[in-house]
Amino acid sequence: MKLIPFYKIPSLFFLTFLFFSCSSELDFDQIKDLKLEPVFVANLAYFDIPANQLIDDGTINIAYDVRNFTVFKDKFFNERLKKAEFDFEIENTIDRAFSLNMLLMNDQNEVLQTISFPVPSYQGGSNVIKYPTEVFENERLALLKQTTKIGFVVLIASGDPLNNQSSGSLKLRSSATAYLVIE
Amino acid sequence: MRKVYLIFCVVLQLSCFAQNKELLYNFTSIPQSLLVNPGADVSYKYYFGFPILSGISANVGSKGFTAYDLFADNGVDFNQKVRNVINKSSRNDKVMTNQQLDIFSGGFRVGGRESKSYVSFGLYQEFDFFMYVPKDPALLALNGNRDYIGKSFNLGDLTAKAEVLSVLHVGYHKKVNDKFVYGGRAKIYSSGANATSTKNSGYIYTGQNAGNPNVYNQIISSNLELKTSGISKFTKDEYEGNVARDLVSNTFFGGSLGLGVDAGITYYIKDNLQLTASIIDLGFIRQSKDIETLTYKGTYQYNGVNPDFMGNDNPEDVFDEFEKAIPRDTLYNKYTTWRPTKFYSSIQYSFGEARPDDECNCRGQINKYYKNAVGAQLFAMTTPREPIAALTAFYRRNIFKKLDVKATYTFDSFSNKNIGLGIAGTIGSVNIYALANNILEYKDLSKASSAAFQIGINFVFQDKED
Repeated sequence: MKLIPFYKIPSLFFLTFLFFSCSSELDFDQIKDLKLEPVFVANLAYFDIPANQLIDDGTINIAYDVRNFTVFKDKFFNERLKKAEFDFEIENTIDRAFSLNMLLMNDQNEVLQTISFPVPSYQGGSNVIKYPTEVFENERLALLKQTTKIGFVVLIASGDPLNNQSSGSLKLRSSATAYLVIE
Repeated sequence: MRKVYLIFCVVLQLSCFAQNKELLYNFTSIPQSLLVNPGADVSYKYYFGFPILSGISANVGSKGFTAYDLFADNGVDFNQKVRNVINKSSRNDKVMTNQQLDIFSGGFRVGGRESKSYVSFGLYQEFDFFMYVPKDPALLALNGNRDYIGKSFNLGDLTAKAEVLSVLHVGYHKKVNDKFVYGGRAKIYSSGANATSTKNSGYIYTGQNAGNPNVYNQIISSNLELKTSGISKFTKDEYEGNVARDLVSNTFFGGSLGLGVDAGITYYIKDNLQLTASIIDLGFIRQSKDIETLTYKGTYQYNGVNPDFMGNDNPEDVFDEFEKAIPRDTLYNKYTTWRPTKFYSSIQYSFGEARPDDECNCRGQINKYYKNAVGAQLFAMTTPREPIAALTAFYRRNIFKKLDVKATYTFDSFSNKNIGLGIAGTIGSVNIYALANNILEYKDLSKASSAAFQIGINFVFQDKED
């Protein structure tokens, strides 16, 4: 049997070394720069109250309800929320003017912020009002983050009392936009 | 955030693939070729692998992007690179890894000097990782849903599995006559850790539909399930051990057990025309140690926080409702996982007849052989969605009697210009081999979509030729 000539052996090893090759400079530390900035939209609240269900007993405060809103208790969400926007749209087909107050409240039922929406009375035609976007940043955002309940108060302007025969309805549609920064 | 890093590290640093051992397949001067075809035409009196060094292999591959795309030190913002990668990849792009390490291996001929029956055995450690690019969930995490009104984010894009196991195997092959070799191998799998999340479905939808009283129609339908075995104790706060040490101990002693078989044949249609086929890892593991299954199953339609002015004072909370609708459940059921089964076949035509050492053989017994062989190989493997396949053309050249080289050109879903080179030499009884594919990419490995290498040292003893 003929052995491999000795001078061939280095070339064999050389070939083996070829298997170890070069690579462009990679910087795995870049993972630390990872910063996700997703923007989520979601329903905020809606209602649709027919005029004949609005009890008009002479006081101006005709509808009231408070709902739990505990999303800010979620630490992950709370810490990463950098900006929020609320958009509101109200359609009034009742021939009375209203005012809707949205109360942002904390656990102790203290009102942190009140957002008011004047609603003109229905005069025929379209009566859909889109309100300017409520933007929460900085201090206003900090207050929002303490919110655990949302109160809704419907106030009615003076005029003829509403009764079972009253027509039309008051509708709210609203959405929230959350700007998160995850890093 | 540490979790995110961890996931990134696992996915990207280990992001490898292939499993296709196109260079090793039917490279019969390497005893380890019996691991990809137990019916390979390998002969020896006895052999044993250099412990730990007899077979080291790793495959690295990803379809759709490369390490360079993400980690290039080129001044481009990392987040932009992540975005680019996600945008250009599809849900069927995959990231795979396979690594194997022979702990020990050996073989011997059974019967007398004229016998052509052989036994081979060994223990190797294997790591497998497989993941499809979770395109939709990644888009949602990167961008949110604002710019995707009307899109249904598919939660079925989340498909991944990983396993660390050891494999104890015993094989037998017999050369029945000059034309036919068959062989089989029995395997006992011991899985140290397994994570499987391959049967997910569901969607996250945000739409704006006419007639909907709300601004958005928002639905989450979730059917998510992650099964783990041998992992849950590491995730507990009380755990104070050494993960690496415990994982090794679970892998070799006391893992979840499974059984599998390999089978293969070599058939010489003519003296110089050879057909082979094999099926590898037809088997399962019964995951039974330290099992934990997490599920999020349910459907929830989110309508917002809506006042009820009719005086019904129900204190329900939409976020509690959500958790009730899609609860996180933990189950402790045993489950069965199937090994990724591989299929190989080849056809080889040999030419360039030669005699040993090109010397006169005075005893009249002529062991002629061929210096060259060309042929084609087919590879297929099961994956959680559809099987993957690769086609290889190869040329094998015998330089000296004890030195063979093999070159391959492989088409697969990762690359269509994958050139591989392998060399196997025997000096005395020491058999050394080195195989590497995708060598064109070696000039810059970071830009390679896949790369694989395998090296090893064996001691092979043949009958003396006296």
